Amino acid sequence: MTVISRGWDRLTLPGKVLFLLIPLLIVATVGLVAVIVLLGQPILDTLAANLPIVRFVLAVTIVLLMTIPTAFLIIYMEMKIIALMNLRIGPDRVGPFGSLLSVVHGLKVLMKEDFTPTGVDPIVFTWAPVVVYLASVMALLVVPFSNGIVGQAFNLGLLYFFAISGLSVVGLLMAGWSSYNKYSLLGGLRSAAQVVSYEIPLTLSVVGLILLAGTMNIDTIVRNQAGWFTDWYVFQQPLGVLIFFIAATAEANRTPFDLTEADSEIVAGFATEYSGMRFGFFFFAEYVNVFIISALLVTLFFGGWNAPFPWPWPVELSLDPGSMGIGLLLLIGLGPVVLTLLFATPFWLASSRIKAWQALIIGFVLANLFIVTLVGAWAYVGLDWVAGILWFMFKTYGFVFTFVWMRGTLPRVRIDQLMDFAWKWLLPASLLNLFITAAALVVVKGLR
Amino acid sequence: MSLIPGLGLAKGMALTLRRFFEPKVTIMYPEERIDVPPKFRGRLQLLYDEWGTLKCETCFQCAQACPIECIDMGGIDTRGRYHVHWGAAETYGERREESALRRSGRPVPDPAFRPFQPVDLGELDRILEDHDHDPADMLQILEETQAAYGYLPVAALKRISHETGAWYAMIYGTASYYAHLRFEPAASTEQAQEVADHRPLEATYLAALDAALGGSDRPGTPARA
Repeated sequence: MTVISRGWDRLTLPGKVLFLLIPLLIVATVGLVAVIVLLGQPILDTLAANLPIVRFVLAVTIVLLMTIPTAFLIIYMEMKIIALMNLRIGPDRVGPFGSLLSVVHGLKVLMKEDFTPTGVDPIVFTWAPVVVYLASVMALLVVPFSNGIVGQAFNLGLLYFFAISGLSVVGLLMAGWSSYNKYSLLGGLRSAAQVVSYEIPLTLSVVGLILLAGTMNIDTIVRNQAGWFTDWYVFQQPLGVLIFFIAATAEANRTPFDLTEADSEIVAGFATEYSGMRFGFFFFAEYVNVFIISALLVTLFFGGWNAPFPWPWPVELSLDPGSMGIGLLLLIGLGPVVLTLLFATPFWLASSRIKAWQALIIGFVLANLFIVTLVGAWAYVGLDWVAGILWFMFKTYGFVFTFVWMRGTLPRVRIDQLMDFAWKWLLPASLLNLFITAAALVVVKGLR
Repeated sequence: MSLIPGLGLAKGMALTLRRFFEPKVTIMYPEERIDVPPKFRGRLQLLYDEWGTLKCETCFQCAQACPIECIDMGGIDTRGRYHVHWGAAETYGERREESALRRSGRPVPDPAFRPFQPVDLGELDRILEDHDHDPADMLQILEETQAAYGYLPVAALKRISHETGAWYAMIYGTASYYAHLRFEPAASTEQAQEVADHRPLEATYLAALDAALGGSDRPGTPARA
């Protein structure tokens, strides 16, 4: 007994935790295997019978997981691009070109104390960032990334999108209300006023497009824009794009409409009392929102995952790896080696100062680049969803760049200017856009 | 409001986009260090050797090298040792205070008993003319100036510096190097003169004394002009 108690005392705290966890893990693993072995077939049958639900859960999980690297990437882009525009170098220490700095920021926020002030409503206080974050993630669910790569395609996608992204106001209000701080409450109300005001022109600017497309199904809207880039809706709805762009900027609380959390002016607005990861979620949601509005802008007005030009000649890649038999194994086993030697030889022969191992490293890198390029080109040509996802990401990050660029340039507006602009300019303009579109449709249909 | 709405926004965006591609001005400090600016001279500091003795020998080279003549030095500490002050004259102005002067054993100027005496520079100009304003004859100029004024007034030194083109610090260094050159009037005669000037009845007393004693060859009696 004494031996056991002394041994227990010698363990550090992580040691004690691990000591208790390891048997639990073993039991859990064994139990899981046993359940799969004993009940595998009924479980599979149940899952197969409820395939839509399984698909939905999987899609939500993937989208939720996808937002994290996206947010990290956009935070890094923001730091780096604004630094370059300020003639600074920006992050350059962690990772290649400092690209892991945002991850370090995330870890830092995660490790900070998650403080709950006295007097707050703990339940609402805790759920507010969750609501804000989930509103972003759920809105991302209906954005088609490529042909067939969409979380959930259904015919009211656009309506769903605006409904869910409007839900973030609730989160902001919850945060402001539950903080037990009159300034937080004011900040929450103010951001709610802003988001609600810009929700109206944002939605109205898209109604013209819905009239044109005749559907609210985002996938169909994208398919309508296939072909040359002149088929994109941006050329039929220029005013709508402009209004959508401005309103979406305000909706995502980006400069020049970032009054919600004007870092340099008010004390973080609704997020005054937040710290640690609960605070981090608000910011994650902001950057996910940037991605979402860029993605939606691309999807609705800039052709979505369609290439700006149709592929000029029909390509038939009838490459069936299965038909190669033993040749496939040889290709996988020997191809990289042969390619490495092939790329290494000229360097080794060219200069006596390059040693054999250096030439081999160069050859290995070049061979990898070659293989990746080859496979990428094959995937681009052969698999249309790869081409689609590449085009979609290219366009989306172009707009993300634009938003960051605006943040690096434009000064913040005042709250009265913000409201004036929404109600006196954007709302009439979006109504005008709607009227013109409807009239044009009637005229075109009458002529036909 | 510009002629085209949104032109200002576009201009600003174009500016930041141009900056985006321009070379960056950041200096990656620990790896990369730029040279100090050519006029930077660092902070004034006197170094001590390993025995704790001041290394400064008051050669005045630093004062001569100083481009704005802000370095000056001099002073005596409480034990009569030559104590070196350094830096701009303003930074050690405390030695001009009465207590500092008393500690250093210098004559304490008393504004009440030392009215301002303007120095007649005509004599000095003549001396400078004799030496053709040549700074190479500095020692002779200084000696003749002291012979003319009894000491080296600051106003005279300034005049010499201005006329010969020699740095004031150099003249000051030369003058303070030689023991027979002094910056203040000889104390014994000067103070008695002043005391006499401010005691108008003394002459009467002395005259009465002389009359009573029948002679005027008392020691220490200042020569009257």
